[in-house]
Amino acid sequence: MDKALEHSFVELLEKHQNIVHKVCRLYTNNQDAHNDLFQEITIQLWKAYPKFRGDAKFSTWMYRVGLNTAITLYRKSKRSIKTQEFETVQFKIKSEPYDDTEEQQLKLLYDAVHQLNDIEKALVFLYLEDKNYSEISETLGISEVNARVKMNRVKKKLRTILNP
Amino acid sequence: MDELELLKKDWKKDDKVYPKLSYNDIYNMILSKSSSIVKWIFIISILEFVFWLFISFGLKASGYNLQLNGIEQNVGFIAISVLSYGILAYFFYRFYINYKTINTTDNAKTLMENILKTRRTVKQYVFFNLVVLVIGVIYMMPYAINHDENSRVLLENAKASGELLKYYASIALVTIIGLAIAIGVLLLFYWLIYGILLKRLNRNYVELKKLEV
Repeated sequence: MDKALEHSFVELLEKHQNIVHKVCRLYTNNQDAHNDLFQEITIQLWKAYPKFRGDAKFSTWMYRVGLNTAITLYRKSKRSIKTQEFETVQFKIKSEPYDDTEEQQLKLLYDAVHQLNDIEKALVFLYLEDKNYSEISETLGISEVNARVKMNRVKKKLRTILNP
Repeated sequence: MDELELLKKDWKKDDKVYPKLSYNDIYNMILSKSSSIVKWIFIISILEFVFWLFISFGLKASGYNLQLNGIEQNVGFIAISVLSYGILAYFFYRFYINYKTINTTDNAKTLMENILKTRRTVKQYVFFNLVVLVIGVIYMMPYAINHDENSRVLLENAKASGELLKYYASIALVTIIGLAIAIGVLLLFYWLIYGILLKRLNRNYVELKKLEV
């Protein structure tokens, strides 16, 4: 591939890298796994980049490739076995008395999101990124009605995890 | 209050918590190799094609080695050979086309379906080969018994001692057991490899399909 293409891609990704970090934050639970997934998403973005048309926003295009890599292509490496251990620790935190301070609440919320399955995490991610239901349905390949119904279920599930 | 709204507020402001990767860090990443399941499916599929090609050559070679005189002119044998190569070419073409349609910018469900379609093609190819293997062995067995010198001697001896039925039964039993073991080992191998590789994809695909009900 030519150098100009490489340069433009790396520059764009450097600027928008937080999107990839955010995907990794939801789908991994430790730094090694985060780095692994970040690298795989970067490779997939780079492979798809020659077909990227300027008519879509680079960030929107990144959401799709990033989420697809996280929920479909990514094979958890051996190092991410730690993830399981991590989740057990989080489970313990969950059973502690509910603290009303915002910081503690946020920690519990992030822990709760980590307990969702991959598809539910994708819905939460797109919701947090302010994507509307039409964009959510397009990204996941489900109908808008089903995206809405599922999102409501995810909210309920989160509530149940937080207040068992 | 909606829990997610609180999370969203935090999600938007925490841009600084992520490590900032430099231009060079990202540049080095694009030079590294992917470890995605698509790449692994592709590699394993190519190995499967090579493996079955090898088995097919092996079978033919053993046909010649058994000094099965005239087997290369046997119509059935030629038909199986031509058919198997034609079908190999067809499967390979379909596999290649499926592989080319895998696109990470498709929606999640389409992407999963395309990956599973690629896998399905290889599965059909393997199934086809198992059928050809069974037919080939069943077809070659009587031929081998009738044309191979050693088998003929054994057959004559069995005839002479009146144990013809026992002779045929033992050959059939050995063949069936041999085939069953070979097929069992292969299926176990596929089940393990693809089971591990596609576990996550299958789970997420089922989850997406469930949303349609």
